[in-house]
Amino acid sequence: MSRLKVAVVGAGTMGTVHSEAYREMADVDLVGILDIRPEAAQRLAARRETAAYTTLNALIQAAQPDVVDVCVPTYLHRQVVEAAAVAGCHVICEKPIARTLADAEAMIRVCQAAGVKLYIAHVVRFFPEYRRAHDLVCDGAVGRVGVVRAMRGGAFPVGWEDWYANVAKCGTVIVDSMIHDFDFLRWCFGEVDRVYAKSQLGRDMVQSDHAFVSLRFQNGVIAHVEGTWAYPSGFYTELEMAGAKGLIEFRSQDAIAVHTQIRQSERAHAGVQVPESPLVKSPYQLELEHFLECIRRDVQPLVTAEDACKALEISLAALASARAGKPVRLAQTPNTTASVQERLTRGNQDD
Amino acid sequence: MTEYHLGVGILSFAHMHAYTYADILRRMPSVRIQAVADFDEERGRAAQARFGGAFYQDYQALLTRDDIEAVIVCSENSRHAEMVIAAAQAHKHVLCEKPMATRVEDAQRMIETCRQHGVKLQIAFPVRYCSPLRRLKQTVDAGRLGRIVAIRGTNHGQNPGGWFVERQWSGGGAVMDHTVHVVDIMRWLTHSEVREVYAEIDTRFYDIETDDCGLLMLEFDNGVFASHDPSWSRPQTYPTWGDVTLEVVGTEGITRVDALAQHLNVYQDQEGRYQHVFFGDSMDAGLLTDFVACVRTDKEPFISGEDGLRALEVTLAAYESAQSGRPVRLR
Repeated sequence: MSRLKVAVVGAGTMGTVHSEAYREMADVDLVGILDIRPEAAQRLAARRETAAYTTLNALIQAAQPDVVDVCVPTYLHRQVVEAAAVAGCHVICEKPIARTLADAEAMIRVCQAAGVKLYIAHVVRFFPEYRRAHDLVCDGAVGRVGVVRAMRGGAFPVGWEDWYANVAKCGTVIVDSMIHDFDFLRWCFGEVDRVYAKSQLGRDMVQSDHAFVSLRFQNGVIAHVEGTWAYPSGFYTELEMAGAKGLIEFRSQDAIAVHTQIRQSERAHAGVQVPESPLVKSPYQLELEHFLECIRRDVQPLVTAEDACKALEISLAALASARAGKPVRLAQTPNTTASVQERLTRGNQDD
Repeated sequence: MTEYHLGVGILSFAHMHAYTYADILRRMPSVRIQAVADFDEERGRAAQARFGGAFYQDYQALLTRDDIEAVIVCSENSRHAEMVIAAAQAHKHVLCEKPMATRVEDAQRMIETCRQHGVKLQIAFPVRYCSPLRRLKQTVDAGRLGRIVAIRGTNHGQNPGGWFVERQWSGGGAVMDHTVHVVDIMRWLTHSEVREVYAEIDTRFYDIETDDCGLLMLEFDNGVFASHDPSWSRPQTYPTWGDVTLEVVGTEGITRVDALAQHLNVYQDQEGRYQHVFFGDSMDAGLLTDFVACVRTDKEPFISGEDGLRALEVTLAAYESAQSGRPVRLR
């Protein structure tokens, strides 16, 4: 199984990014792209020189992928993931793992029963700036950590049927975007004790969403996480980790290594600005290569489906706090994996 | 026509801002520093040598001077009330270092006494005179951001040590020291009061009896929500003392302000680190110019005792919330 056949489901933003990464991999065959919108499937498949499909059955029968990469809106993850797993395909699925914990846990159970892997694409762990920061902080580079600040966001995302604006389908910026930072911070500092959140949820939020989340970890670290879809344009990330012996700061704006301006012309009506931070391999490619390597070698990934469940738990607690205006305590779970496993066997409901 | 000079006295150099204020006052042609007072004789004599005027160990004696119309109170936080009230009773106008007090009752008595004796009480919130923040205020007031949705603030610093970390004198650590400036700016921008406060507060950086870090989550009367980080979380090697940053999110746009962005990056081998050298406008000069103008022209201070009180209430509510684990309702 050295060469792997991968199919991408969903020809939106993430499907475009992931399929591009697969095309960069010498030992991967991108065997198909599926989208229920035939033109979208055709367009992306043509760009990636692969076949287009509009149903999962047709894709699996014709292309026989080893791996299905699920890049559809969050609320549709469960149905696609379960269908692919039942057909015997390993699954890579975009974050958040699902919109509800019940869906997430069902997906994990079905993949386990089918004997296939389930990897959730928490790509921030593969961004070199975050990975470096994680390694430094875990090596004690700044001493005991006191306060951490993370920021992520920009313009309101454009999606199919405007699903990002639908709280029931997407869960606001808190579930869709800030989950990146929740997962990253949990990777650095362990389990969260309590969450308090303020957001535009319950206020007017037409094509705009902004949230502040306060996290208190079991080890005492205080974290401020800001998520925004309220900027007129752009995308920004920031990270700051303050310890008793030092401080780590990162601002995406300061890491723009190449800044190009194109003169206004007949072809480009407005002057165009292109900020870039180029890397040999994108974090997406690093992440997907890692998951494929874990399939080949049958080893634990850097981020597990159980980690993805825990990150979702933090997001849902923040959403509940924003709604109720009260802090929300997370269940005391000193050992992550065991507790998620425990609940999976009980077949718990939530949300 | 006789040239008018405003006679000023400085009550205590316990707070390091006293030196900055005195330096600015000394250079103002219409101001004379007539006297300084300090319980700490050595510190007070040194200040006298640097800024001129008479020296008093007992500030009450300074207050008997007729050639002093106004005083600057820069004592330890918990001594503000006593000194401000005495100054008002001696009919001196007062500029009081922030936080104006450590207890709400003290702040209320300070405001009341100044009102009774007809003297000005201005609280030292110089950030309102910071040019980048004034530009933000203009942008907001002109409606360019639409309606304000959320505000994120930081006022990070380093542990100042000394009485700042002794609860008896400071009333609290980082949260007491670094909450009021930004809360004042948020009130100024939103024209609204903080209704509810939730906070996480702890001591995680230093071995001290006060807090050194915190995170405040705020809800305003008009539905704006906000967060603020007052932590003393800048390490010793940080290139400047800390920061004041604000992000205002509106329905039509956003503005980010870094009050200390106007700096040079200076690398000096002998210092063993790199430093920021600020080149923007001095906000302290703006504060003192306005205070002097208020006294001379009998104008109401731009930053009042009530402004100081409202910011203090938020700070104390943050401590209460961190203690109880629940949001604290202010109004």
